[in-house]
Amino acid sequence: MISMKNLTFYYSGSDKPALRDINLEIEDGEFVLLTGPSGGGKSSLCRCLNGLIPHFYGGKITGRVGVNGLDVTKHSTKELATMVGMVFQDPENQLVAVDVDSELAFGLENLAFAKEMIARRVEEALDTVGIVSLRHRATNELSGGEKQRVAIASVLALYPDILVLDEPTSELDPKGAEDVLNVVERLNDELGITVILVEHRLDRVVAHSDRVIVLEKGMITADGSPRSILSDGRVSQSGVGIPPIIKLAQAVKSKGNLIDNTPLTVKEGRIALAKTLRHSKPFASRHSEHPSLSLRAEGVAIPRPFASPFAALRASAQGDNKRPVIASPSYVIASETKQSHLKPLIEVKNLWHAYPDGFVALKGINLKVCPGEFVAIMGRNASGKTSLVKHFNGLLKPTKGDVILDDINTKETTVAELSRKVGYVFQNPNDHLFCDTVEEELAFTLNNLGSKGEEAELLINRTLERFGLMQYRYQYPRFLSGGEKQRVALASILVAQPQVIILDEPTRGMEYRLKAELMKFLDQYRREGRAVILVTQDVEIAAEFSDRVVLLSEGKIVVDGPRKEVLSQALLFSPQINRLAQALKSYGVPGDILTAEEMIEALT
Amino acid sequence: MVSYKYSDKGTVIHRLNPWCKLAWIVGVCIFALLFDSPVYLLLLSLSTLPVILAAKMWKEWLSVMKFAFFLCLLIIVINALVSNQGSHILYQFPFAIPIAGAPRITLEGILWGVGNSLRLLAIISAFTVLMFAIHPDDLMLAMVKAKLPYKSVMVTSLSTKFVPALIDDAQRIADGKKSRGLELDKGGRIQRVKSYASIAIPLLSNSLDRAVQVAEAMESRAFGSGQKRTFYKELKISKVDITILSFVFSSIAFGIFLRCLGQGGYQYYPVVEAVSLTASEWAMLFVLLLLVNTMPILALLKRKVSLD
Repeated sequence: MISMKNLTFYYSGSDKPALRDINLEIEDGEFVLLTGPSGGGKSSLCRCLNGLIPHFYGGKITGRVGVNGLDVTKHSTKELATMVGMVFQDPENQLVAVDVDSELAFGLENLAFAKEMIARRVEEALDTVGIVSLRHRATNELSGGEKQRVAIASVLALYPDILVLDEPTSELDPKGAEDVLNVVERLNDELGITVILVEHRLDRVVAHSDRVIVLEKGMITADGSPRSILSDGRVSQSGVGIPPIIKLAQAVKSKGNLIDNTPLTVKEGRIALAKTLRHSKPFASRHSEHPSLSLRAEGVAIPRPFASPFAALRASAQGDNKRPVIASPSYVIASETKQSHLKPLIEVKNLWHAYPDGFVALKGINLKVCPGEFVAIMGRNASGKTSLVKHFNGLLKPTKGDVILDDINTKETTVAELSRKVGYVFQNPNDHLFCDTVEEELAFTLNNLGSKGEEAELLINRTLERFGLMQYRYQYPRFLSGGEKQRVALASILVAQPQVIILDEPTRGMEYRLKAELMKFLDQYRREGRAVILVTQDVEIAAEFSDRVVLLSEGKIVVDGPRKEVLSQALLFSPQINRLAQALKSYGVPGDILTAEEMIEALT
Repeated sequence: MVSYKYSDKGTVIHRLNPWCKLAWIVGVCIFALLFDSPVYLLLLSLSTLPVILAAKMWKEWLSVMKFAFFLCLLIIVINALVSNQGSHILYQFPFAIPIAGAPRITLEGILWGVGNSLRLLAIISAFTVLMFAIHPDDLMLAMVKAKLPYKSVMVTSLSTKFVPALIDDAQRIADGKKSRGLELDKGGRIQRVKSYASIAIPLLSNSLDRAVQVAEAMESRAFGSGQKRTFYKELKISKVDITILSFVFSSIAFGIFLRCLGQGGYQYYPVVEAVSLTASEWAMLFVLLLLVNTMPILALLKRKVSLD
């Protein structure tokens, strides 16, 4: 059992509390989902549970944290190790041994367990997490998801009562994340281990949790059952990403229709919505005075193809599928560029790439990207996504074939030269930031491109303004919060106003509000006649914001087309709402719906 | 591309007790430092090959030896230019340097470089076995058994583990800089050194972040709990291992004995010696090399025996 009473904590050298007057009780066996904006205190709260705060971090702590009746401030992290298991965000930096089985033994060895006992515990932990097949593998050869499962097993070997996971999936691809979460759910279900999970993406885990706690500015702002928290409007305003299915249910409800409970999974959504469709009168039919739904992107008027409220449903039910039921604005742009004779910004011709170790990452890629396009490049891990986009700014050169960028062959120039035309934002903002102030970061890019003096000054001011970074102008970039750092990284690239902007997994581990802000900005950017290329594994983001999706597999393009075509037919890469739409086809819901907004539009 | 880290190839050499391999490496190094004769050093370098072959690590060995070879070339050239001793003058420079005198290239200078390169090659070759054929955990256990403090051993082992991560980091940061218009490979030498040095700062801060994260993770798993640590794996020493060890030790003793008899010595300066070995010297050298190679031979036999 965990109990926190009036807990307040200041990091040393900070006069703003990281945690403020926290009062919390967590029962044995609970599955608690901890969420909230970055910098809200989630990680700090986790670190209080096993005494890393205050023993490792120092700082000033008042109030009481009790774990199984022990006062955390009086017992060291080492003593608490057998009660609280901690799994961290970065899979790389928490494994210390060479092999998987020595990794599992590490904690037990530290606690001086007898050899026979260690052997038994290692065996059990391997079985419980289901990684027996990995036992003799070297830890540095494992995938991210495997590493994270090894990390879980390695703390599980200490028989903790409580498992604390601080964003364990934010560095993983969807498959790896799924594997890790499956394990966590099973541990809670079958062994009754208390789980405290920090997550940004709620859609996957919310159905399994007993309780959701929202932390903002070091304070608990919401605490309750998933259904009550997620249907609470205040919570969605705090930047917590409300799963699309719940958004949909809320919209349906707000139109005065009955919907059972708040559905948390696709299955619940399917059943509830089918019921609503069967029983209710044509909903929203009397609500035509609500032409723009609050959920829809502002300023985008979606043309309504049918006057009668249920005409859309009827029409498609009669097999009239040829008429577009929904004309989303991005879809229109995609088809426009396809038909128009705009000169492509990027032209990839029969591109092959082999790495020095002989691994062939790309096999005959042909691709054109035109101005104004928003392209999502998707695919499994190691399918060649990053290898492909690295060719666009010359970080990689073709082994065979050509990449032509605005009439320049990338083989004949340098990355620095190409950076005038192509901006590349890396996944980890830390790889971008090395100057003393935010302002200097922007100036660095401009200086390299030969822009100095007043002209540069003007560009810097404008860009800082645009990204809301004016107040951080003279601060040390690495000390900013995650979201702010990401913004500085982006600003340092965009200050040069490149024709093409490439973002490699920019949204991984990012909270929803920041994601949405970033995407809105990118959408505006491409409307100025530039191209945005987004490497992502986040289906919901691709479904909501891109207009064209390129799916890669083993170095080849499998599908390349408008997002609707690609994402509504993919099994692995289909968004939550599409899975719902597919199941509701018999009610006349078009099968190519991808987002909550489109679904609402189709139903009204 | 060869990855510069241990990978378990499951050969008889990988299976051997680490003490055998460590003793063998020490033995080769002692001989390399003891003997001066290029014949001895050449044959010694060659006699490390059976172990490399038995451990199936020739690819890694070759890539390391490429570096070593380059290093040797450097030694030979520099020694030839700097050393002006020796009596067979091949080239006399037409100018003189105050105090140092007139530089010249002599046959002796070149041969000294060659001889010492062989010495270096033997040592490096032996050390590839340490790098590629001893499991890091085994090495750690051996070090702890040798009464080195556990924490220091652990830190050393960790630092080698994070070298590849550091290289990746540096690459990514360099890519990031290039993508922001920095010409890393342009400009004069000084400019380039400056450009690359600018990678150091973000690299350092990334490494510090990593260090904190690793420390946190270790702390959470009771590292340094104050109790006397136990070890899950232990070093098993078989009869064959003991036999091998005794052979390795006797080879060291025999080598020292030979050197005391005055065998394997050589003079480069002032006049290069003729290389000539008596029949008994050849025989003794042959026995020594055979002793050095008892490790791979017995290890292979051990497998035969255990299969029966």
